[in-house]
Parts: sequence; structure tokens; C-alpha cells
Amino acid sequence: MTGSTGGPTGGQRPARTYTPDFLTELFRNPLDPGYAAAAARRQQAGGPTGWQRGAVRAVTVVTLLVLGFLFAVAYRQTVAEEPGRSRARAGLVEQIKQREGETSELARRADALRGEVARQRDAALTGSAAARLRDLEAATGLVRVRGDGVVVRVADAPSKADAVTGQGGTNLGRVLDSDLQKIANGLWSAGAEAIAINGQRLTATSTIRAAGGAILVDYRPVTGPYEVSAIGPDELEDRFNDSLAARLMRNVADEHGLSFAVRGADDLTLPAASGPQLRYARPVVTPTISAPGSSAPGSSAPAASPTGTPDVTRPSGGNR
Amino acid sequence: MIAVLALLAGVVLGVYLDPTVPAALQPYLPIAVVAALDAVFGGVRAKLDRIFDDKQFVVSFISNVLVAGLIVYLGDQLGVGGQLSTGVVVVLGVRIFGNVAAIRRHLFRA
Repeated sequence: MTGSTGGPTGGQRPARTYTPDFLTELFRNPLDPGYAAAAARRQQAGGPTGWQRGAVRAVTVVTLLVLGFLFAVAYRQTVAEEPGRSRARAGLVEQIKQREGETSELARRADALRGEVARQRDAALTGSAAARLRDLEAATGLVRVRGDGVVVRVADAPSKADAVTGQGGTNLGRVLDSDLQKIANGLWSAGAEAIAINGQRLTATSTIRAAGGAILVDYRPVTGPYEVSAIGPDELEDRFNDSLAARLMRNVADEHGLSFAVRGADDLTLPAASGPQLRYARPVVTPTISAPGSSAPGSSAPAASPTGTPDVTRPSGGNR
Repeated sequence: MIAVLALLAGVVLGVYLDPTVPAALQPYLPIAVVAALDAVFGGVRAKLDRIFDDKQFVVSFISNVLVAGLIVYLGDQLGVGGQLSTGVVVVLGVRIFGNVAAIRRHLFRA
């Protein structure tokens, strides 16, 4: 097909006729060449006669029947498939919603139980030990905390993508997981003592990462607009505004149109984080506060404080 | 005339029986339809050209559908996905267009 310029090679062989290449032929004469050939044959030898002709006719009719059948089936199939697709999608969305509901229900229950545990423990512990434990828990993010601080609000730039086709290039004004990490780190370094992203409290083991297009904080998805609330000293807002993270985010906001706002907020309440399950790391110093029997009133618990805390270090930032 | 009736009867049968296509065959259905359309338009044009041949029509229909299915299957196995089917659709589409243009010239002399 490709070498269509050949001619008689040897001389004694008859000149071969080469057809033009496939596509040219296709455009020039779209009809199956078989029809012309069959017509030529018929003219030479005469068409089929008698029963042969009838049989061939019948086969054609059957073929056409099959053809119509095929069209109808394909049409029904295509029509039937469409709701199936959207049904599957709706089902998945439904499942996600349900699981999210279950998760928050369980989280609520965990909170309640945690409160219960704290109450029981407070009852069992003496005053100073209980207070110390509460402080530690507040620092590690295991209890709800209240206080004044700032709220940093970031939101994606309005998408330029076509709403129907979903195309239109990548939106550079999207908030990335690294943006939230930078903000969290900036807040820590500005002196924040507790940080929550969209109500997800950050702890020493918190992660802020991206999976696909979604941002996960502690493996739970958060969606924009993102609100990073932090409790800290009065000058937290100013310090954070001067920080590298805030300046960078302002630049990004100016260039790509995402929104970034820092405002001071009074009387913030940050929720407790779901307690980190430490499976492998063990405290080096036996924490005296966790054994109610061993802590005599005000004796060993305060003494242990300089050494008894390294296992519960302050969160140093959204970790990587 | 009989041909059109047979085609209509096939459609009615398909709508009436409403068979479920096995999942394994579903990817081949669209391409089979395109191949069948090509055979149909080829046949109509041949009829108008007065060179219609029953045997040629039947053979071209069956081979079209089979080859189209085979190419889709091959594309799946080779991992090129839909690209090979795109090739089939392009080739058959060109043929359908050409034949429809010829039919139009026959019918409307334009």
C-alpha cells in the first residue's frame, strides 16, 4: 500500500497495478469496491437465478432485521446507561455524606466520653495534679480551650474553569495544603498556643496534607473557605501579619486572586483534637499524674514537672 | 421496500424484546453500530448506483462489525484504550459521509 510507485520490476512479469493508498482511496470512493466487482461479475456471468436468488434475498432480509435489532438495542442501552451513571454517582455522594455523618457522630461521642473521663479523673485526682493535667491537655490540644486570638481566613479564587466541561486550565488561585501549613507555622511562631483549621484542632501529630484535590487535616477533609483560628497573646495578630507566611500569602492573594484575611477575634473556642493514639512511643519518665494512687497530695506531682513533660511537647507546627 | 420493512421490524423487535446486553459485550456495541451504519449506507448507495449485491452487503455488514469489534478488543488488550476505536470511527465516518453524499447526489441531483 505504501510503496505505490512500483512498476514492472523484471520485465517479463505483467505490470502490477497498485491502488492508491488507503486513505486517498477511502476519500475518493467510499463505496466498498466489492459492489462494483460483484456487478461486473454479474454482467459477465449473469446473476444468481431461481432458489439461489431467493436464498440470498432472505439472508439480506435477515441481516437487515439484525441491523435494526442492533440499532434498537444500542439505543436502549445508551439511554438506559445514563441514569445508571448518575445513580451510581448519587449513591456514592450519599455514602460519603452518611459516612461523614457517622464520623462526626462518633467524634461527638468520643468528645463526650473524653469529657466523662476527664471528669472521673478530676474526681480521682487531687487539685494540683488535676490542674496540671488539664494544662498539659490544653497545651497538647486534647481539651477544648477558650481565649482571644486571631482568625485567618483563606479562600480559593473563583474558578475560571467552565462549569459544564470542567475545563479551563488550572486555577492558580487555589489554596494549597502548603499554604495552610505555612499559616499554621506562622501562627505557632507568632506565639499561638492553640490552632484549629475549620474546627480541626492541631496537635503534635497533626498532618496537613493534600490528597487529590482535597486538603486533609488529620486525615479528615476540610473544604474552603478555610478558617485557621488561633489563640495566643494580644500581639499575635500583629506578629503574624509581619510574618513571612502572611506576607507570602498576601503576595499570592494579590497575584492569583485568592482571598486572605487576618482579623483579631475575642473569646474563641477551639475544639479538642481527637486524642493521638501513641502506639509505639512510650513516655520515658513514668508520669506520676496518670497513676492516681501514687500521687500523694502535692508531693511528687509538682516535683516531676521539669522532667515529666518531654513526652507531651508543645505542637511545633503543622507537621510535614 | 422489503429491506426497509425488515429494518423496521428489527427495530420493533429490539424495542419489544429489550434484551440486556452482557457486560462483556457492552464496549463493542457503539462501534458495532457505527460499522453497521457504514454497511447500511454502503448498501443504499449501491442500490442507487444499481450495483447492489446481496452477498456483498451481508458479507460487508458481518465483516465490518467483526473487524470493528476486533479492533476495539485489540485496543483494550494493547492498552491504547479508545484510540484504536477512534481510528475505526474516523474511517467508517469518512465512508459514511462519502456514501451519504453520493446518495444525496442520487436523490436530489445536487
